[in-house]
Amino acid sequence: MTRSKDLDTIAPDDLSTEVSTKVDEVVHSPKKKKIIKTKIKTEEFIVKEDFNQKIHDILGHTKNPFSSFLVHPKVLKFTEQDDHEIIYLAVRPHWITNISWFFISIAMLFFPLLFGYLTFLNVFPIQYRFALVLFWYLITFIYAFEKFLSWYFDLFLVTNERLVDIDFNNLLNKHFAEADISAIQDVSFSIKGILGTFFNFGTVLIQTASEKNQIIFNNVANPQKIMRLLKELRDLDEHQGDQL
Amino acid sequence: MNNFLTSNNLEFYLFGITKIFFVLFALLYFVFAIIVVKQVTSMSKSVSDKFNYILIIFSFLHLAFSVLLILIMLGL
Repeated sequence: MTRSKDLDTIAPDDLSTEVSTKVDEVVHSPKKKKIIKTKIKTEEFIVKEDFNQKIHDILGHTKNPFSSFLVHPKVLKFTEQDDHEIIYLAVRPHWITNISWFFISIAMLFFPLLFGYLTFLNVFPIQYRFALVLFWYLITFIYAFEKFLSWYFDLFLVTNERLVDIDFNNLLNKHFAEADISAIQDVSFSIKGILGTFFNFGTVLIQTASEKNQIIFNNVANPQKIMRLLKELRDLDEHQGDQL
Repeated sequence: MNNFLTSNNLEFYLFGITKIFFVLFALLYFVFAIIVVKQVTSMSKSVSDKFNYILIIFSFLHLAFSVLLILIMLGL
């Protein structure tokens, strides 16, 4: 027998019992339940809005779809994405990392001009030489195209649920790794060399408690911002965990 | 034997062998171009973005040029 019932038996007109019954009635009434639910939803909305504002403060925003640092990309989607999953950040390797293949491609474009100096080619009729030049330009194109695709589809995504690393190597291999936000244990970054310091890009290393215990993002732009975002996401996740 | 190694015959064999190599390379390149189209389509499905269709168009253009290469090699 609970204490309140016990007291009720002794003194049925006890005020405290009456009050608690009334409170119970009010709390369990459908109207009050609705109000509580609305209040919780409003609180969640405020937390989300605050969080979105924080993200905006940390990351700023970009509109160029070819940027290596895409904040809140609206059109970007990936196959494994859940319906309610929001991408906060999509990062590619810094554009400066493309400079080597870009110049090699430019040099390859001009290489056929040297064919005139290769005397052994003069043995062949003009059609053969034309075919050779066409073949050379196709190889040049595919070299540049493959390098561009490897950069364009090398993505590190931060969503409201997890971190995703998508990578395509040499057109033939796909690599996909993910880790829940709650599984993040430690985040560190390093910026190396003159180019890294000058253009502000580096490596972000994330230790996780998931199956793949380490996720590394090489040559990503603004590693400090990524680290701050991950910290905020972890805090939000912990805050939500505490509420539950 | 001397008749066999006349300059005309030498040219014929040299260009013939070169042509066979060219055609073989062009055919292999065509197969590679098909793989590129397939991979670009698959990449675009995997990560969809507004500009993926441009990449797919480029991959198909590359395939068309590889077909043109075969035709040129065969016409040599």
